[in-house]
Amino acid sequence: MHKPNEINIQRHGSIVSMTINGDITSFSEPYLNQAYEDVDSQYAPEKILLILEKDAYINSGGIAVLIQILARTRKKNQLIGITGLNSHFKKIFNMVGITKLATLYDTLDDALATMETLD
Amino acid sequence: MNMPLKEKKAFQMLDDQTIELSLPNILGYERIAMGCIDSFATNVGFRKERIEDLKTAVAEACINAMQHGNKDQPGERVIVNMRFASGSFNISVIDKGQGIPVPLPNDPNIERIVDDLDPPTGFGLFLIKKLVDQVEFNEKTISGHGVRMVFNLS
Repeated sequence: MHKPNEINIQRHGSIVSMTINGDITSFSEPYLNQAYEDVDSQYAPEKILLILEKDAYINSGGIAVLIQILARTRKKNQLIGITGLNSHFKKIFNMVGITKLATLYDTLDDALATMETLD
Repeated sequence: MNMPLKEKKAFQMLDDQTIELSLPNILGYERIAMGCIDSFATNVGFRKERIEDLKTAVAEACINAMQHGNKDQPGERVIVNMRFASGSFNISVIDKGQGIPVPLPNDPNIERIVDDLDPPTGFGLFLIKKLVDQVEFNEKTISGHGVRMVFNLS
């Protein structure tokens, strides 16, 4: 029942965004890992913005995959933003502690504008 | 009429306030249960925000049943029994396993996970505990072991 994630990578000034289409579950692990490795090897960015689909289904397996990626970004001192979440998943990400590793933004414009100013 | 215990229990449980699903033990099928509880909770007047909590807790209980209870065995089933009465949902998610080891695992600690001190596991049980009004792990039923969750309308 899981469709492969399609992940689009784009540079916006000092920020590289990863637009993740589809649900985020344990099945997403190879797609997200590959996308992160592509981003890191091609751009070595200091700032990465994850853009999620507002209606995506995200379960505990997907949360674990995201946290593993966030752990890799922390080891490289990369600044991470996340946008596209609906209010339910903002609450969930707060509950599990993802907000200790990444900043949640309400909109893409807000994320890009704010992250551009951060060191 | 003498009815076998299993049929009696099923008959008692499946009244006009109850819906029961039997899901294949395949990851992804928890979304069927999510769709069902979404419709059921909407019909009885739950707020949209609370329905999202219900859906997440039911999904995580199903995933836990599939992976840990039924040990990913494709021939097994996960039973989801949903009953709304007196302003509360009682939802049981039942598998063929032996239940969750007691004491329950510690809540995940994201700092320890990031530092590679803990595995990135335990988020499902953690979310269930956070999102429901009451939860009983290791409920014994005629069909197996389960998680029983209560969600109040008010």
